[in-house]
Amino acid sequence: MDNWKIEATKHTPEIYFDATNNVLSMQGESYPENVDQISQPLFSWLANYLAQANPDQALTVNIELTYFNSSSSKMLLDLFDRLEEAATTGNHITVNWIYEADNDSAEEFGEEFKEDLEALTFNLVKQ
Amino acid sequence: MLDNLYQFKKELNQRGIFFCFSGPLSQDLLVEIGDTLRNKMKQEEASSSTILKVFSMFVEQAQNIIHYSAEKIPLDRPDKTTLSSGIIVVGYEGQHYYVLCGNAIDNEVVGTLREQLTKLQQMNKDELKRYYKEQRKKDAHESSKGAGLGFIELARHSITPIEFNFQPVDNDFSFFSLKTAI
Repeated sequence: MDNWKIEATKHTPEIYFDATNNVLSMQGESYPENVDQISQPLFSWLANYLAQANPDQALTVNIELTYFNSSSSKMLLDLFDRLEEAATTGNHITVNWIYEADNDSAEEFGEEFKEDLEALTFNLVKQ
Repeated sequence: MLDNLYQFKKELNQRGIFFCFSGPLSQDLLVEIGDTLRNKMKQEEASSSTILKVFSMFVEQAQNIIHYSAEKIPLDRPDKTTLSSGIIVVGYEGQHYYVLCGNAIDNEVVGTLREQLTKLQQMNKDELKRYYKEQRKKDAHESSKGAGLGFIELARHSITPIEFNFQPVDNDFSFFSLKTAI
């Protein structure tokens, strides 16, 4: 796989896949008018990645969003469901949900995502 | 109006309103207003958690206007975008920030919306959390336009139960307004 990147805008996060370390990261804020502008390229990249990836090679997904709106929250749930499914079928995937100590909303959102996941390793990482 | 503008401004100040916008709203404008509101609250030494919550309420309410206002004009652009109008107010009263928004809606959706908001108004925080997760799951897999999730989020984070109102305008439209507080 190659490195892959979507640049951040004022209302969408940077999404970056570091092929050397096998790390996908999403960082910034997410409140576009239409969340398809992020979810479509992200999910098509992910499908492609999962089709090609060696399941034994661990994938780390770092999510560090200081703010996201309700439609981005749906997109995140969709992302975690896809990762959960891949984890269930044997892919080694770890999600790090990274948030600042004073961002109680981000902490709560992280806990709520974690509650519904089983196969996927989901770490809450306070900074 | 020229004479009355000062009076209008004084009335806004008396009500603790420090931001008020009425007219056509776009995502670009929302981003800039959101930045300005955050800077303003930072200056007032609001905690970063409060600033984020007020900002979040502003975004959800402004995007509701953009998506659902019945007062919209088509733009002469190939992507068929429209420009939606509404009103947004941000203020501070009784130690709390509040966000108030309003827009025109079709009379035929008043019944459903009233029912939906009344339901949210009566739920406690645990019920709202469960309902939010349930609805998010549904929406994420049915790619609905997501009407509802934004309202549930607003209800969950508002420190007082959401307040709303429907004002009949004419045979076709009503004016919908909503208030949430942090």
